[in-house]
Amino acid sequence: MIETKNIDFYYGDFHALKNISMKMEANTVTALIGPSGCGKSTFLRLFNRMNDLIPGAKLTGECLIDGQDIYGKSVQVDELRKKVGMVFQKPNPFPKSIFENVAYGLRVNGVKDRNFIKQRVEESLVGAALWDEVKDKLKKSAFELSGGQQQRLCIARALAISPSVLLMDEPASALDPISTSKVEELIHELKRDYTIVIVTHNMQQAARISDKTGFFMLGELVEYSDTKKMFLNPEKQQTQNYITGRFG
Amino acid sequence: MGKKTNQSIAFWTFRILGLLVVAILFWILGFIVWHGVGVISWDFLTTAPTDGMTGGGIFPAIVGTFCLIIGSMVIAFPVGVMSAIYTTEYAGNGKIVRFIRVMTNNMSSIPSIIFGLFGMSLFVNTLGFGDSIIAGSFTLGLLVLPLVIRTTEEALKAVPDSYRTGSLALGATKLQTITRVVLPTAFPNITTGLILSIGRVSGETAPILFTVAAYFLPKLPASIYDQVMALPYHLYVIATSGTDLEATRPIAYGTALVLIAIVLVMNLLASMMRRYFGGKNKVN
Amino acid sequence: MEKQLKHTEKELVALREEVTQMWQLVLSQLEKAKQAYLDNDEELAREVISREKRVDTFELKIESDCENYIALFSPVAVDLRLVLSMIKIGGTLERIGDFAESIARHVVMDGCRGITQELKDKLSISNMFDMAISMLSDSFVAFESENTKLAGKIMQQDEQVDALYRGALDVLAKYVAVQPEHARCALETLLVVRKIERIGDHCSNIVEEIVFYIDAKILKHNKGK
Repeated sequence: MIETKNIDFYYGDFHALKNISMKMEANTVTALIGPSGCGKSTFLRLFNRMNDLIPGAKLTGECLIDGQDIYGKSVQVDELRKKVGMVFQKPNPFPKSIFENVAYGLRVNGVKDRNFIKQRVEESLVGAALWDEVKDKLKKSAFELSGGQQQRLCIARALAISPSVLLMDEPASALDPISTSKVEELIHELKRDYTIVIVTHNMQQAARISDKTGFFMLGELVEYSDTKKMFLNPEKQQTQNYITGRFG
Repeated sequence: MGKKTNQSIAFWTFRILGLLVVAILFWILGFIVWHGVGVISWDFLTTAPTDGMTGGGIFPAIVGTFCLIIGSMVIAFPVGVMSAIYTTEYAGNGKIVRFIRVMTNNMSSIPSIIFGLFGMSLFVNTLGFGDSIIAGSFTLGLLVLPLVIRTTEEALKAVPDSYRTGSLALGATKLQTITRVVLPTAFPNITTGLILSIGRVSGETAPILFTVAAYFLPKLPASIYDQVMALPYHLYVIATSGTDLEATRPIAYGTALVLIAIVLVMNLLASMMRRYFGGKNKVN
Repeated sequence: MEKQLKHTEKELVALREEVTQMWQLVLSQLEKAKQAYLDNDEELAREVISREKRVDTFELKIESDCENYIALFSPVAVDLRLVLSMIKIGGTLERIGDFAESIARHVVMDGCRGITQELKDKLSISNMFDMAISMLSDSFVAFESENTKLAGKIMQQDEQVDALYRGALDVLAKYVAVQPEHARCALETLLVVRKIERIGDHCSNIVEEIVFYIDAKILKHNKGK
């Protein structure tokens, strides 16, 4: 379970997130929607502390994952990132073999047992619905895969280190419709074992795959409710305008 | 005059000047090959000079040049790569980095004879290496350091940031990210830089003049504290201050041909590697 | 290898299943209403009346599920037609359920038990009931099998039911002329007959929706062409 309490976030002088309090239940898919620059990606990146890399970033408020304050003093960032996997907008496999891509997370975390690595790689590829397509060419370069396959490889790579939370930053925006639908189907499958937070520009996608949806605008969480409610009967006029496309 | 005429005048000016460069290159190459190819033989490549350098081959000079290549690379490569890693991966874009970058650029514009003088003062005299391979290697190493740093920096910058974030997001530390993802990806380009600097090192005369090069030494070096002959300096010597300039002219052209061949082969190798790995590592 | 259904498809299958269940329920309501009416079985009639609530609940559920399906999954083409037709079919089934219930109410409140078996036979009420039931179950088969071949048959049956209705009107008119003291009873009977006739109309509306869903053809308001 993820919970944020009164999160404020600044890039230098820019107030990127304003007093965000949100709760995401385990084994659900939460979609974050909103216009570009509304803070949804920034919010997503709080959970694996990717924002730490940005100079001049400042955070106040609390961010809890499974009850633990992930910005607490005792938290090691690389340990946190093992627990909170991330899939990016553009598929970004490493220039390595398919096998090594998936094994990477295990290796950097000190796993040496070859059989275990082999087993985890297979499990993860199966979990990412890619195993059947690649089982005969694990040694081939990841770049030989199609864009959609690469994205599922990146998902497999994230799954390999057994995270409990999976963050996805527009994971299907660079894919064609068929790959997109495969990835969406996968997300729907994955929520059985993971808590998933997904940023998407595609409202239909949010509607199709999420249980709850949060609508961000200008750094504020305008509305957060069940996806069904959000898309049938949103509470705020702003939300209505955005999801019906009558914006501005 | 119409727009069209202007256009074609400009076009032809650019084209002729462009072709001119190529023509000059071929002229030089042809000139050297024409004069030098006659003396090239197995003996010429594998024997020492004889008869007061009016006869024999250039074997010690070839060996000496290779010693200096290896020596200078052993020095410049680790230092250059590591400082490039520091500036691109760790240092961000602060004042220190900008300062380092400016200084690196300045260093690459220092005339090579200055490096020679500096090397003589520091390595030969102060550190007491004497005229030796080690002194020459250090001097040449310093000379190509900016080149190694710059090419390595470019190579590291060419690695997409998405690899870094991808690796970090999997719980890898920064060092792991650099050693396991960034460096292997950048490796081909770094190697290209290395080869380019080898080309530079093998052709320099001034830095070795006071630090390593022997006027005439028909035996091979026994340790890194020995002097060696080197191709560019040998060429300079037999072209300007030999005992019988007329008689040694063909040998000079032969030496020039060997030197140019080494440099060309290195450059070709570099561009081949770039193409080979470029195709393999293409990022969509 | 069996193709795995996507989760969006599964939702649609579940939605269909609801419509199927409602259909079965309404069908059984209608059958029981017929039984209750023909046998003057008050108990059975009460059962029909009490189960009417379930039909209503089904309608609301299907309607809101269809709305959600459209809101969340933005269906297009055949999926969109299916969902739209299911909303309408749900509504129509509910109307049919209403008729079944009100026929059952006639049995319960009945002020005229006097209507004779002979008259019922003359009016071919049983026959009309059977036709309406067969229309409803045929349309269900058409929906389930996604096959519009039965459509023609159902439309024909509707015309037959209409004819029977007109016949019944004549019979009742004569009846009233002969036995004016039973006029109220005759009128009530006419209402029942009329309701069965309306059920037939609703069934053909359902068929139109099925044709719209499967063949994307619009039959509505097109009769006689």
